[in-house]
Amino acid sequence: MTTIKKMLFASRFQDLTFDALEALLDLRAVGLDHVVFLYVVERDKVAMYRGLGYQKSEEVKLKEVANIHFIEWAEQLFEQGMEVGVHIVVGTLVQQVVRAAGMEEVDLIVIGRPTRSLLEQLLSGADISALIRRTRIPILVYKQLPLEVAEKGHPFTRPLLATDWGSAAGKAQAYLMGLKGIVEEINVIHVGREKDLDSLSAMKVQQYRKTQREKLQAICDAFEAAGIQARPHLYVGDAYEKIESAAREWRASMIVTGCSGKGSWQERIIGSIPRLLAEKSDVSTLIIPK
Amino acid sequence: MPKKVLIVDDDPDVRLFNSSVVQELGYLPIEAGDGEEGEQMVAQEGPDLIILDVMMPLQSGIRLYRALKTDPAFADIPVIILSGISRRSFMKSQEALAAFEGGAIPAPEAYIEKPADAETLSSQVEKCLRGA
Repeated sequence: MTTIKKMLFASRFQDLTFDALEALLDLRAVGLDHVVFLYVVERDKVAMYRGLGYQKSEEVKLKEVANIHFIEWAEQLFEQGMEVGVHIVVGTLVQQVVRAAGMEEVDLIVIGRPTRSLLEQLLSGADISALIRRTRIPILVYKQLPLEVAEKGHPFTRPLLATDWGSAAGKAQAYLMGLKGIVEEINVIHVGREKDLDSLSAMKVQQYRKTQREKLQAICDAFEAAGIQARPHLYVGDAYEKIESAAREWRASMIVTGCSGKGSWQERIIGSIPRLLAEKSDVSTLIIPK
Repeated sequence: MPKKVLIVDDDPDVRLFNSSVVQELGYLPIEAGDGEEGEQMVAQEGPDLIILDVMMPLQSGIRLYRALKTDPAFADIPVIILSGISRRSFMKSQEALAAFEGGAIPAPEAYIEKPADAETLSSQVEKCLRGA
């Protein structure tokens, strides 16, 4: 059984609003009773300026504005008997998310879609990869659900599990398995590489398909045995593009992927699949670090 | 020995302000930066009054207040809630917790919505400690 008792909700207000929080309150079925709000005043907004020094008054203003938002949200949650904590701090996003998540011992980190450009992220270290490397806590990169999906439930209702057969994907599978109370249906997808099929005969390609489908079916059978409906899907091509299009095709409420967190330098620059999904996909992405 | 007033608030500026008000009145302020630390200090220091914020890291004032009022050892310590959270939400949250866990909790001795001015805080502190 996966327990999500305490959730860190790192909002910049334009990316994560109260309706995002409301959509996640169904997690109470798997134990959620404590939401920790985090707002990070980015250091560059209050940095030292020549002739002006540290912008203390700007820091106070930004913190108070964040506090106004959080009071509104907290009242709603308190009135439902939930516990709420708040951190409003100056720093860098990744550093403060890791600090607050560790201090509060949360079970899930929720952040909005990263908005900085790739170059800015590389320079600031504020990209999603940096976060994945520094925590073992699952990270939900929340994006507004499309209306037709939102009407059918919350992000955990119809996840799409992307597997590369690795151990991190296995961990993601186990994580979803433990969410039986809130997951209704899972689509399980594996994306084969086109270049692996290049020199194969038709029969070998068919054999490849059969083997991969059997592996997918085994995962689906495990989900079904746990009481969760599951369907297997095999795609071939660019992993990011195929996962993204499968999510739309199967009206997934969220993409779930494991992540080893040990990307190569090339991956760090070009982007690993979890990172690409987190940053580019329009579908919420749950990343389960290894 | 002056009476001890425990101030539980995550904002150091608010703690400083409250401490100076308490000190002006001749009492001894002691401080905690979150609900968990506050709970430990209640047990260690046995304060005569608690000025308690609601929204804090680790443990909120709502849970700390309930923990105090359901513990016979601390239930009689007067509490002033000083928070941006409305009194209505505070009381509703206590009702919700009582519905889940049982045991109705009395209202705090005083409820001040932030920001508190020195005069209001002083008069409430005196009311709690001297019955003035």
